[in-house]
Amino acid sequence: MTKNPLNFRVLALHPKVLLLEWDQEPSETLLAFLLSFQIILEKQVKVTRCTMGYQSLLVHLLVDMKSLAWWKQRLLELQPKVENQTVNKGRHWKIPICYEPEYAPDLLALAEAVQLKPEEVVQLHTQTRYRVYFLGFLPGFLYLNGLDKRLYCPRKEKPLLKVPKGVVGIGGMQTGIYPSSSPGGWHLVGTTPLSLFDAQQQPPCFATAGDWISFESIDSKNYKALQKKINQGTFRLKPHD
Amino acid sequence: MIEILQHGLYTSIQDMGRFDYQSFGVPLSGALDQHAYRIGNQLLNNPERAAVLECTLKGPKIRFHKNSYIALTGADIQPQLNGKPIKNQTPIEVKENDVLELGTAKIGCRAYLAIAGGIKTEKVLGSRSQFKGLTREERISKKILLPTGDSNFKPVKGARLKIPNLDFNQKTLEVYLGPEYHLLKKAQKKILEESTFTLSELNNRMAYQFNEKLPHQLPQIWTAPVLPGTVQCTPDGSLIILMRDAQVTGGYPRLFQLTDGALHQLAQKKTHEKIQFKILTSIE
Repeated sequence: MTKNPLNFRVLALHPKVLLLEWDQEPSETLLAFLLSFQIILEKQVKVTRCTMGYQSLLVHLLVDMKSLAWWKQRLLELQPKVENQTVNKGRHWKIPICYEPEYAPDLLALAEAVQLKPEEVVQLHTQTRYRVYFLGFLPGFLYLNGLDKRLYCPRKEKPLLKVPKGVVGIGGMQTGIYPSSSPGGWHLVGTTPLSLFDAQQQPPCFATAGDWISFESIDSKNYKALQKKINQGTFRLKPHD
Repeated sequence: MIEILQHGLYTSIQDMGRFDYQSFGVPLSGALDQHAYRIGNQLLNNPERAAVLECTLKGPKIRFHKNSYIALTGADIQPQLNGKPIKNQTPIEVKENDVLELGTAKIGCRAYLAIAGGIKTEKVLGSRSQFKGLTREERISKKILLPTGDSNFKPVKGARLKIPNLDFNQKTLEVYLGPEYHLLKKAQKKILEESTFTLSELNNRMAYQFNEKLPHQLPQIWTAPVLPGTVQCTPDGSLIILMRDAQVTGGYPRLFQLTDGALHQLAQKKTHEKIQFKILTSIE
């Protein structure tokens, strides 16, 4: 038998809820493993739903578990084999962002804090492909991995009570888009006219865990034109090849 | 159809919640006291997931636009039909133009008003539960007409539903241990097990907090999935119990997980009420 490098703990949080946890730092390997495991569980086990974090899977069972020991054994049998894991390629979404001052209230301050020119911040922010690890915090909020280290910047001391919908922020080691207006402590460096979440659409968010996101700089003229199309319902984002 | 004449303190349409969209970051939502919610629908022979009104502390005033049956469960909110007191936990016949007035919650915090056929507002992502940004309104905040479904419900004479009595004065919340509990020191575990905690004013459908704090040195965790009933501890020692509108992921250490019963019980607690945790043996 091959030794599995991705050992995990299993905890029963509740008679219907199993928590699977890994000790590894979040990585592409762990993400691929979690995504495959989730697919296996949803197919082979009577679960109502699975949710993901950086190092964990929460599995909601349909009925109360009778024995945790039985589940531990079953999960060991079900876990994806590292050698023949299906690689989740993910789709690539290019998100248009306007980085002009009226759409990016904190860009200058952030640039100063990280000792770069604003255009260098934009360049670093747009040249990365970010991986979607999972969604949480708000409906349609993507946890993105891959921010350039040169853009790491502590959160603002005073969070804003209302960050508008569509604003792109940088905070700590993370970057992300506010899918709806919300309190927030990140530096606001741009805005997208796209909706990250629409409850009337199926699925309500175009991106899912495992997908890739990149940001594309657009000027305010294009921003307005795109916004008009979106409001008229004549624009739909397509994955990039 | 029912007409909301006065909306009460915090009244919202709720059902069992949204199960299938958590991987998109959508909270579960649904009635906070699912026990009371279920009984209401059972009393009227409604579909299991029929939508009801969740009425918090001070209930709404309602006029009925057609003959129907209703049932009130959960908190005792001193209901009156056309000015006369009516009973909880039993089907009540209502006629066109009858006016139901719910008072203030005498015992408990949330009352559920179920109506035969259920409330039939638009479903969003599989549920009628109101939630900010998803449903058109996040709660009932004005005079409004709400559509109700059809039902041929007639109470059967002598038929009785055995309803387990929930004691709203019960202080003990039963919990399972959370993933980070074992990282606490002995003295901190003792505080959690032996102290009484007072519900702070920060309590709503997203989370409940307490006045007492638990000083600790627990590390932050990588953002992980959480669920209603998860007891988190913030860096300043505040204990937060997540409720059904809570976000689906969190980065604070998780000390406990409430049983379903404890979660329903907590939904009936008001500001300043006291609780104690009782740790159950782990599931093996």
